[in-house]
Amino acid sequence: METIVDAQNLRKTYRRSDGPDIEAVKGVDLSIRRGEIFSLLGPNGAGKTTTISMISGLVSPTEGDAVIGGHSITKQPMAAKRLMGFVPQEIALYPELSARQNLLFFGRMYGLGGRKLSRRVDDLLAFLELHERRNDRIDTFSGGMKRRVNIAAGLLHKPQLIYMDEPTVGIDPQSRRRILDTVKQLRDEDGMTVLYTTHLMEEAQELSDRVGIMDHGEIIAMGTHAELTQQVGEEDRLEFTVSGGVADGAPARIQREVAGVTRVLYDAPEQAGAESVEPAAARLTVFARHGRTALPPIIQVLDSAGLVIQSVAVREPDLEAVFLALTGRELRD
Amino acid sequence: MRKILAIAGKELYTFFRDRNLILLSFATPLVLSTIIGLAFGGVGGGGSDSPDFAEIAVAVVNLDEGVDVQEVLGLPDQFTDVGSLPFDPADVSLPFGSSQITLAALMESGSALNFGDQIAGILLSRPPGNAGAADGAGLRFDEIECGLLGNGEGEETATFSAGGTLDDLLDAAAIEDADLARAGVDSGEYAAAVIIPPDFSRGMIPRFRLDGEGRVRAELGDPAGTVEVYGNNGSPLSARVVQSIAAGIVNQFVRVSVALGATVETSANTVLDSFDLGVVDLSNLDLSGVDLSAALASLQGLDASVLEPLFCLITPGASNISVSRRPLDALQQAPTIARVIVPIGASQAVFFALFTGVFGIHSIYEERRHWTLQRMIVSPTPRFYLLVGKVVGNLVTVLMQLLVLLAALTVIASIVIGEPTMIWGPSAGSILAVALALALCVSGMGVLLVGLARTPEQVVLFGPLINIGLAVLGGAFGFSLPVQAAQFSLIYWGVDAFTKLASGQTDIALNLLVLMAQGLALFLVGMWLFKRRLDL
Repeated sequence: METIVDAQNLRKTYRRSDGPDIEAVKGVDLSIRRGEIFSLLGPNGAGKTTTISMISGLVSPTEGDAVIGGHSITKQPMAAKRLMGFVPQEIALYPELSARQNLLFFGRMYGLGGRKLSRRVDDLLAFLELHERRNDRIDTFSGGMKRRVNIAAGLLHKPQLIYMDEPTVGIDPQSRRRILDTVKQLRDEDGMTVLYTTHLMEEAQELSDRVGIMDHGEIIAMGTHAELTQQVGEEDRLEFTVSGGVADGAPARIQREVAGVTRVLYDAPEQAGAESVEPAAARLTVFARHGRTALPPIIQVLDSAGLVIQSVAVREPDLEAVFLALTGRELRD
Repeated sequence: MRKILAIAGKELYTFFRDRNLILLSFATPLVLSTIIGLAFGGVGGGGSDSPDFAEIAVAVVNLDEGVDVQEVLGLPDQFTDVGSLPFDPADVSLPFGSSQITLAALMESGSALNFGDQIAGILLSRPPGNAGAADGAGLRFDEIECGLLGNGEGEETATFSAGGTLDDLLDAAAIEDADLARAGVDSGEYAAAVIIPPDFSRGMIPRFRLDGEGRVRAELGDPAGTVEVYGNNGSPLSARVVQSIAAGIVNQFVRVSVALGATVETSANTVLDSFDLGVVDLSNLDLSGVDLSAALASLQGLDASVLEPLFCLITPGASNISVSRRPLDALQQAPTIARVIVPIGASQAVFFALFTGVFGIHSIYEERRHWTLQRMIVSPTPRFYLLVGKVVGNLVTVLMQLLVLLAALTVIASIVIGEPTMIWGPSAGSILAVALALALCVSGMGVLLVGLARTPEQVVLFGPLINIGLAVLGGAFGFSLPVQAAQFSLIYWGVDAFTKLASGQTDIALNLLVLMAQGLALFLVGMWLFKRRLDL
């Protein structure tokens, strides 16, 4: 399949006069195929937005380059930018203008004009079910409606590639569902390539043809959902919340005594204050080949260690597990 | 180009959609100017009320050396010996207003006219006796009544001298040295200096000669004798008032000069006509057989009103001469509300436009915060276009703000006056040119400030401070600093230009040049610095 984005050794370092330099992106290599939805998954501050900003020509890379449809973003920025649309995480619209005025303005920034632009704006507003509110000011819109106009502004010139930076942040589930459906529709019906960043594992899992997992400015894993989950094997993940005593020794006993357990992660609780009556809760994550079989003996060990189990969850392999396996942290940390 | 226009258009649209901005940019300066205009110009705006001018400090320098009466009226080339006349000049009475004066008195050697003393006396509000209007025994100017000031005096009196003498208006001081007086003006001690040159009287008196046909011809005096009014541009209104008064008085002297020339020319030719001699050789003139009675009767029968302007100069009441006798400039003729609202309104308009200039450009930070700037940068639009579009939008916004304010102030003044009044003068093109030059300057200042500041907070802090500083320098807060300081403010140059235009003057080239040069320099440096604001 043809590659539409080919980024090599993208690096961004922010120099600071009052402290050490910040290396936001540490040499990212990225290749996105035409017509696929590629998600960059990672916690906040992982470097997703900086990466997408470099690829879109918003910020200059300290090192490296990205080629978009055959045009270098650093050497032929205008040609590269004509191929791409951009949907930032923020609502990048003028609140005092109407939805239509906003779209007309940004359409002109892409060299569109006249009836063609007017028709395109109306089509997009209809596509995003905003036609009736087209002449209302943006600041009277709900969060979900603003998000949809925000997406429309990136689609005006029918780009081959669209960057969407966490487009579902801060909206209700219904609006989120609508946006996710729109993204799939863009790929399936318009053949658009989508570079999608999110910190929500579920979104990446549902939308993406391929996923790149980012942490601390690096892509630590990349591939299809299946390829990534294979990295952590066929293990189930058992998550316990426990309280009632010192858990020292219990994780080691579980790993030693329970069949099928490969790894145990233990988050020690914060020390409760002297005046605290309730014991602090701790989290225990156990990776096991057959989670449901391993569950009873694990509970036995915890019980015998004097720990009170507050909750238990058994999860099948997913991107969350991959991230956890690779970084030792959860995505939401 | 279309992208630049789109950005500029968006800037303009968002500005005029923001009620708070409208309130700040239009309503506030309008309300302030109107309140000040009404407070100092009075409701009704009629022409009879006086503006609340404090006494205007004026330096009066009289360098006039005067002129000998005999030299002037004795036609010395032709009549070298008064005693050779075939009649006794003491017997010839001339009608000087309601009095009579003998020809001998006028021709007596040593009777000196010093019009400079007269002007200085008027400006200094001195009694005419002290002004040294005339020396010599034959002529008593202070005994001659002025026929110029008739019953209609009050009706034509300029508003600022109504109901009193110049003493009510001017705080005049006699200075002997012209350079000293100019220095006093430069330092702000005086609003203006009136400098009467040494040849003033000589220049005012017409010269007589015989033409080829033996007719007496009067020629106007030497133009070198021009009174100089050296004004302090820090007090443009006061300086203009002094200029108007001085010009009014000098104009009367000019009228006297013309009248005197015409009178003598007519009289002499009347005498010559009665001789019926054709070509006259006056050096060999034998008048023994000539009957002079008809000529003298003709001379004595002259219409006294012809000579009235001359008497007016030298009467005791000369210090009451109203400047209304000369054409006033447009601003001085205008009703008080217009005279007050022009400088106040212009300075307030420019002052508030400065905020539009700074905060219009400052909105780049808002765009950055809302990510609309990033959205534009990601589009195939060169950053230079974004910059130019933003600045052009700001420039047009400031220009429109200025023009709308000028128009609104015109409407307000017209309502108060009760009839449509073009308070900014008749030259729409010049007004537009000044507004455009100001917009360039104001917008350039905004670009420079935003370019210089490291953070948006710095712009918010230093922008108003610098604007207020410019307003203080430029005299927008009701007091004037010395002109050397005021000239550092674009407000000074703008207000000065608008005031000149309102006065019907057209010499605004220097104002335009300074504003355009300043604006261009601010723009170039500002743009160079401002482009950093597009780096993310």
